[in-house]
Amino acid sequence: MTEYVTSALFVYTDETNHLVDPLQNNSLGTPITSVAFDALMQAPQQQLEGAGHVVVAGPIDVLKEILRLAVQYRFSIGIIPTKKQKHLIKFYDLPKNPSAAVELALRRDGQAIDLITCNGEIMLFKAAIGRIPFLDTPAKASRVRVLVNALKKFVRFKLHTFKFKTAGKKEIETAASGCMLLQHSRGSFAARLIAHDHSFTDGMISLVISAPISIMEYVTLLRQALRSSKRFKQLPSSIGYIKSPQIDIESENRLAVIIDDKRTTHTPLHCKAIANAVHVNVGNNLRTESISAKDAKERIDIENLPREKELVKAKKQKRIPFFSYASEERFYDLFPALREDARIGSIYIVLMVLSTMLAAVGLYLNSASVIIGAMLLAPLMAPIVSLSMGILRGNIELFKSSIGKIILGIFIALFSSALITSLFPHKPVTEEMLARLNPTLLDLAVAIISGIAAACSKSFKEIIQSLAGVAIAVALVPPLAVAGIGIGRLDFYFFYQAFLLFSTNLVGIIISATFTFRVLGFSAVVRSKRSLVIVFAFLVLIAIPLYLSYSRIVEDRIFEQSLRRERFLVNQKYIIIVKASIIWRGDNRIILMDVLAREPLTRKDLNAFKKKIQANFNKKLIIRLNTYYIP
Amino acid sequence: MKNVVHLLILVLFVFCLGACDPESAITPSGKTIKVGIIGPFSGPVFSYGEEGVKGIRIAIQLQPYLQDGSRIELVEADNQNDPAMTVKLLEKLVEKDNVAAVITFSSSKPVLAMAKVADEYQTPILAALATHPDITKHNEFVTQLVFDDDTQGIVAALFVRDDLLIDTVAVFNNPDSAYSSHLAAEFERKFKSIGGEITDTISITEETADLSNIVKRVHVRSPELLYLPIKVKDVLRVIREVRKLDWEPKIMGADGLISTMLSQHEEDLDLVDGMLATDIMAHGMPLTPIGERARKLFRNQYEETRTVYAALGAEAYMILFDAMNRCSDPADRYCINRQIRSTTNFTGIIGNMTIGPNGKTQRPLCITSIEGGRSKFIFKVY
Repeated sequence: MTEYVTSALFVYTDETNHLVDPLQNNSLGTPITSVAFDALMQAPQQQLEGAGHVVVAGPIDVLKEILRLAVQYRFSIGIIPTKKQKHLIKFYDLPKNPSAAVELALRRDGQAIDLITCNGEIMLFKAAIGRIPFLDTPAKASRVRVLVNALKKFVRFKLHTFKFKTAGKKEIETAASGCMLLQHSRGSFAARLIAHDHSFTDGMISLVISAPISIMEYVTLLRQALRSSKRFKQLPSSIGYIKSPQIDIESENRLAVIIDDKRTTHTPLHCKAIANAVHVNVGNNLRTESISAKDAKERIDIENLPREKELVKAKKQKRIPFFSYASEERFYDLFPALREDARIGSIYIVLMVLSTMLAAVGLYLNSASVIIGAMLLAPLMAPIVSLSMGILRGNIELFKSSIGKIILGIFIALFSSALITSLFPHKPVTEEMLARLNPTLLDLAVAIISGIAAACSKSFKEIIQSLAGVAIAVALVPPLAVAGIGIGRLDFYFFYQAFLLFSTNLVGIIISATFTFRVLGFSAVVRSKRSLVIVFAFLVLIAIPLYLSYSRIVEDRIFEQSLRRERFLVNQKYIIIVKASIIWRGDNRIILMDVLAREPLTRKDLNAFKKKIQANFNKKLIIRLNTYYIP
Repeated sequence: MKNVVHLLILVLFVFCLGACDPESAITPSGKTIKVGIIGPFSGPVFSYGEEGVKGIRIAIQLQPYLQDGSRIELVEADNQNDPAMTVKLLEKLVEKDNVAAVITFSSSKPVLAMAKVADEYQTPILAALATHPDITKHNEFVTQLVFDDDTQGIVAALFVRDDLLIDTVAVFNNPDSAYSSHLAAEFERKFKSIGGEITDTISITEETADLSNIVKRVHVRSPELLYLPIKVKDVLRVIREVRKLDWEPKIMGADGLISTMLSQHEEDLDLVDGMLATDIMAHGMPLTPIGERARKLFRNQYEETRTVYAALGAEAYMILFDAMNRCSDPADRYCINRQIRSTTNFTGIIGNMTIGPNGKTQRPLCITSIEGGRSKFIFKVY
């Protein structure tokens, strides 16, 4: 059974004096004494002494003043909102209907709520400091509005250094674009982030800190804001959260503080929550959400905020960088694993020997399935991923150990396949081998995609690492085995071509994995310039022969393609080129062609054909023809 | 040290300027050498001359002065593609205008007329379009810059037989045209020699009235391809009759057909969609670096490249220019002629060309088709 107050004082302003009559003639029969706010403030003690309940209708500033008086004179409050006060209606779950609002305002069972003050100013809903992308966007805002808000906030976006101090004497120094203090969880994107852990009866202040350290992080946060319409189970990657009865905020530069949409004060800011300070008649929905101040505990969730070296870097930057960066501490489980991957172990040696021996046998058998089996065994992914991370982070120790492991693997592979070759009495050149002697750009594409997959598999646990390992092995094991076969055959051309393909693919994988790690935010906070120069020089050295061979490959492929659209009339005989491919033996460029002809081609015809090719394409070529005759 | 670096940069810059633009080193002498242009600038095939001269003007912009600083001055003469008028104009250009060489955009018949008197005038004549094989016979001064009809007929027959794998063909020819008769005959000869069957050989002229019945008669024997080395207007008449029968054979024409269609019969392009032809070049085929420069200039000045005549005009000028530069006196007709006929591996618009002492040019030709209102490159035949 609902109980109502036996008498009440109604405080109104010029905008709400029309409510005096309806309230005095309320259907509940409660006696009401009305007083204008200005008159009340001239002699508050006289008016409020002994007043048990005050009903207020007026702007937010008036409400805040009544709340302050309520703490002093110990009366409860009923609120009658105007139609325009949508925020107030939402935050206190008040009825929009005036008679229902009067009914709620005159109830006896007011809810004890906390009162938060910041630098002496009452904070009713929220306070914002600095730039807080999306956090102050209304929770139910359209996606377009969220996007527009995000773009607006992005202009001159930078991180400031902040120092937060809690009631439990914890001090947190970090860098953030801004932060937001909240009274309770209704109405904004920030409130949605912490809705599971927040109430206006818990005697706590909630502080949400926004710290996107890069444009990529900012975009990720935007994506999360646009995608998620429900409450967040965990904080997004660039958001921190502190809950405490008292929070002190200091910033390197003095920043304005906007309390309840009004620029009121500036940092340093001292905020405290007075638990159960006043009784306010709120809607039923809010009563069910309340948490007792006894149950609430201080909480500090700052894992996602910049710290230590990251903080130093954030301080130096005028604008946030495009890609994210991170200190080693942030990935505390990843780096020991990478160091372990870069260490040479007996299993690595055994698997390397077995995989290349198997690949060599598969190549001699011209059997794709055996070669695939060799790829499944190859243990090359781990050191390559470690090397990529070493390059990205300028970690010389990781770089040295992983490159040492890779070089050892290469020697083992070359030796094993050379040994197999020398043991074989017959050494046929199979199609599977030839395919590795004439690398195409598609081979490089395989390598680059494998590198991306490897980096992703290390970063996302959902990707099975062995699958990415096989992808890498596709690009590396067969050419390495063919290079070893070349050594076994004492054929330098064999070795050179296959090893070139292997080197191209290896560099492709390393560069793509490095870049992928960079995109995923694994860059070091502070990179050693010296190590970067060494790595860069290393890559340039490898890139020179690769570039030279690459341009030759491209030229050859263009020539091959063009030949397929050519016909030759030689001594009145029509020659159709069906297939053309160029291979190199030392300095000799050999063109292998499948041609169609109606009449038998004599030596004279072939000489004329060769002359025509050389005259029109300016190329010194050795021509090998397979002639198919048209019936 | 800084000054030395600056000096080196300056030297490199000057060197680069010289290396990048060798023409700029030539000082104009103020001397001009006249070159005659004979071609139809009016009449039914006016586009031969009009487009050809556009190509020459583009080539002049690329190569404005000879090595000795002389400038080439063009003297144009409209022969309306008439043989008798052509001979008179040749006489006038040589004796009155004192030209050092003549470039002609006439078809085979007027050039054959010129060939008969070429030795009399002792002036090099570059036939840019004429394909009849006899234009270089019995004279020392006519040089044929395109492939001849023997080659064209053979390539067409081999392409039809070996690439399209077609067994039966009906051949149309125009008995009034030396070009058409010869080309059709050469195609027939080669096609039969490689096992193909000629179902019909039809002679048609502008006066042929009963074309509908002729085409119906051809249709009875169901040839897979119609070979039409005839005038464009007659090609269109034949195709209209073919379409009336709801018949869809493959159709192949000869050089210049697609260019004339594009420049003079744009409204009928739908009718010839899918038609094949042998030609000098086609839209979308790779060009040489000088060819690319010429195309860019042409597009800037004339909006779009529509015909091969312009390309052939540019090539004729470039070959003449090259020959003149190799003579101590670039106006010496004998020397020019000798040098033209010893051109080896000359880079033209679409590829390399070699001209033999007999005045014949070895150069690739291509198989093209008309698709979507433009010529499409299919194959190049060397």
